Amino acid sequence: MKYNLELIKNKRKIISFSTVLILLSLIGILYSTFNTSYKKPINLGMDFVGGNEIRIERVCEEECSNFSPDSVIEYLREISQNKNVLNNIKLQSQNNNKLISIRTPYLSIEESTNLINNLDNIIGPLNYESKDSRLIGPKLGKRLLINCVTSLLVSLFAISLYITIRFDKKYALFALLALFHDLLIVFGIFSWLGIILSVEVNSLFAVSLLTIAGYSVNDTVVIFDRIRENLRSSKKGYNENIQLSVNESFRRTTFTSITTLIPLLSLILFGSYSLFWFSLSLSLGIIIGSYSSILLAPSFLLED
Amino acid sequence: MKRRQGWLFFIIFLLTLSVYLLINYPLQLGLDLQGGSQLTLQIIKEEGKVTNDELDAVYSVIDRRVNNLGVSESNLQTLGGDQLILELPGEQNPLVASRVLGKTALLEFRTQKEGTSTNLKNLQIQRLNIKELTEQFSISENSQYDANLIKIIQDDLKEIEQELDYSSTSSDLYGKLIEIKKYIDKEITNLFIKTDLSGKDLINAGRRQEQTNSNWEVLLTFSSSGGEKFAKLTKSIAGTNQLLAIILDGESISEASVGSQFANTGITGGSATISGNFSAENARELEVQLKGGSLPLPIEIVEANTIGALLGSKNILKSLYAAICGLILVGIFMIFNYRILGFVSVLSLVLYGFLNLALYSLIPVTLTLPGISGLILSIGMAVDANILIFERIREELDDGNTLTRSIDSGFQRANSSIVDGHITTILSCFVLFLLGTNFVKGFAATLGIGVLISLFTSLNCSKTILRFFTTYQTLRQKSLYLPRKNFSN
Repeated sequence: MKYNLELIKNKRKIISFSTVLILLSLIGILYSTFNTSYKKPINLGMDFVGGNEIRIERVCEEECSNFSPDSVIEYLREISQNKNVLNNIKLQSQNNNKLISIRTPYLSIEESTNLINNLDNIIGPLNYESKDSRLIGPKLGKRLLINCVTSLLVSLFAISLYITIRFDKKYALFALLALFHDLLIVFGIFSWLGIILSVEVNSLFAVSLLTIAGYSVNDTVVIFDRIRENLRSSKKGYNENIQLSVNESFRRTTFTSITTLIPLLSLILFGSYSLFWFSLSLSLGIIIGSYSSILLAPSFLLED
Repeated sequence: MKRRQGWLFFIIFLLTLSVYLLINYPLQLGLDLQGGSQLTLQIIKEEGKVTNDELDAVYSVIDRRVNNLGVSESNLQTLGGDQLILELPGEQNPLVASRVLGKTALLEFRTQKEGTSTNLKNLQIQRLNIKELTEQFSISENSQYDANLIKIIQDDLKEIEQELDYSSTSSDLYGKLIEIKKYIDKEITNLFIKTDLSGKDLINAGRRQEQTNSNWEVLLTFSSSGGEKFAKLTKSIAGTNQLLAIILDGESISEASVGSQFANTGITGGSATISGNFSAENARELEVQLKGGSLPLPIEIVEANTIGALLGSKNILKSLYAAICGLILVGIFMIFNYRILGFVSVLSLVLYGFLNLALYSLIPVTLTLPGISGLILSIGMAVDANILIFERIREELDDGNTLTRSIDSGFQRANSSIVDGHITTILSCFVLFLLGTNFVKGFAATLGIGVLISLFTSLNCSKTILRFFTTYQTLRQKSLYLPRKNFSN
C-alpha cells in the first residue's frame, strides 16, 4: 500500500487552511476575553475560580419527573441562610430529573451540608452513596491556575530545549511552530465551547494540553527523522524527498493516532463524566496534531 | 539465540512476579474510586514562607486531633510545603473533622480588669439575647417559612446592634447572628487581662454531662506547674468581684467567679471544668482540640471533596469497561493490520499491562480516575512504538531482505524515533509531577511509568517474542508479515 499525498502542489492550501483555523481560534479567544460575562480568554471552571459543586441522585421512580429546577431554587431561597450564594446558584437535572447537579460560589463545609439537607427536604430522599461533592476555596483556585500555567510553560520550554538540541535550528523552529499551532487551535475550540455551550475548563484541561504537546512533537519528530534520513541517502530533489518521507510515514502516523484515539473514544463513551471533556480535548489534540505533523510541518520545509 | 532465550525466561519470570505481586499486594484505590472525603488544609502565614519546623508542628497537632476524633483509616500527608491533605475513606462525614481541624484552639485564662463589671454584665445580657434569637431562628428553619417570625428576629437584632453600637456586615440573617455573637465574645475578652496560664499547661482534657441539666462540660487537667499557676491565679481573685474567663481563639467561652473559701490556697488539685452550655457534640470537639494542643499557625480548609461509595465503585466499573474495551479494540486493529506482528504486539501489551499494575502496587501508586486515564492513554503510546517498528520491518521486507535481518534492522532503525518520542512525554510527565496538584500527579505518575515500561516492552519484549515465533518454521513465511494486499498479489 503506497500513499501519494501531493504535498508540493497543495502547500498553499494547507498553509491557508491552518491560517484560517488559527484566525478562528484567535477570534474565539478575543471574543471570550471581551464579550462574555467571565471576561477571560477561556471559561475557567471551578478548579480555578473556586466554588462548590454537588451531584447527587434522588431515590425515586416515576414521581421524579414532577419538579422544575426553578421551583427548587425558589424553595431553597426561602429556607436557606446565605442569600448571596443563592443568588448565584445553578441547578440542573439529568436522567429524567433523577440526577441533580448544583453549582454555587464557595461555601464552607457546614453551609454545603446545610444546602444538601435542605435539598433533601425539598426533593428527597437522596442517595448519599452516589454523592459527589467538590468544594474549592477561591485562594486555592487562584493558586491552581498559576500552578497549571507554570507547569505548561516549564514543560513547553523543556520540550523546546530538547528539540533544539536534538535537531538543527530550522527543524526545531518548524516543529515548535506546529506544536503551538496545535495547542492554539485546541485552546480556541474550548474558548468557543465556552462561549456557545458554557463549557468550563479545569486543571485536567491543562494536563491535556501538555499531553498534546508531547504527542504532537513526537509525531513531528518521527517525520523529520525520516526526512533527514532520506535527504542523506537519496539522490532525488529536496522537495520530492520531503514529499516521499511524508508518504512513507503516513501509515505510521495515522495508525498511531487511531490506536491512541480508540482508548480515548472508549473513555468518552464509557468513562466517568469527570473525564469526558478531558478525553475530548485529548482526542481533538491528537487529530489536529496528526494533521500538523503530516501536512503542516513538512510544508514549512518545502522550498518554493 | 541463547541470549534471546534468556530474555524469554526473564519475561516469563517478570510476568509471574507481577501476577504474584498483584495477588499479594492489592492496588491502592484513590478516594474517587472507593468513596470518601478529602480535605486540603492550607497553613496561613502572613509574612514569609512556612518553615519545615512549622509544617511539622502543624502536622503533629492535626495528626493528634485526627486520632482523637477516632476516624478510621484516615491518612494525613503534607503537600507542597504549606498544605496538608487529610483523607477520610468511606462514609465518614467531613463536617465534624472540618470543624475540629479548622480551629486554632488557643486556650487562655484571663482575669477581669478593674471596674468593668457593668460593661461585662451588659455584654452578657446581649449574648443571652443573641442566643435566644439564634434558637428561634433554627426553629423557624425547621418548620414552615414564617415571614412574621423572621421580621421579629430582624427587629430584635437591630435593637441589639444599637445597644452594642455595632453594625454587622453579613448579608443574611444567620450570618448576622453568628457575627454579632463573635463580636460580643471578643468584646468580653477585651475586658480581661492575660495571665501566664494557657492551653500549654494542659496535659489532658475530657468531657462529662452536667448533673443538673442535659448540658455538657469540658474537664481540664493541668500539668503540675500548670496546677500551681492555676492555684495562684484563683487565689489572687478569690472572694473579689473579679471574674476568671476561659478564652478560646480570642473569644470568651466562659466567665466564672472564684468563691472566698479559696482565698487562702486557691483552687488546688490541678483540674478545672468549663461549663459553657456545651452540646454533646461541641464538648467532644473542644475536648479533641484541647487534647491535640493549639496550632502554631492558623489553617484554613481550602478544598473538600466527597465521593459516595456507590459512585466510587461505579467509577471503577466505568474505567474498567473503558480500559478493556480500548485494549480489545486496539488488539483487533493491530492483528487485523499487522497479522503475526500484531499478535506479537498484543502479547507484549498484555505483559505491559501487568508490569504497569505490578509497579503500581510495588511503589505504591494510588490509583485514581486521572491515573487510570493516564494508563489508558499510555496504552496508545506503547502501541505507537510497536507500529513504528513494524512499519520499518515491512519496509525492509519489501526491499527483499530476509525475515531475520528485517526484524533486526527494523528494531534498530525505529529505535531513535521511539526514544525521542518517549523522552518528550517523560519530560512533560516529570514537570507535571513536580508542579502539579494531587489530581494531576496521579495522571503524570501513571503516564510516566507507562511510557518508561513501554520503552522496555516494545524494544525488548516484542523483539524477544518475535524471535521466539520465528524459531517455528510455519511462522516464518514472509507473507504472514506483509499487509493483506501484498499477500493476494
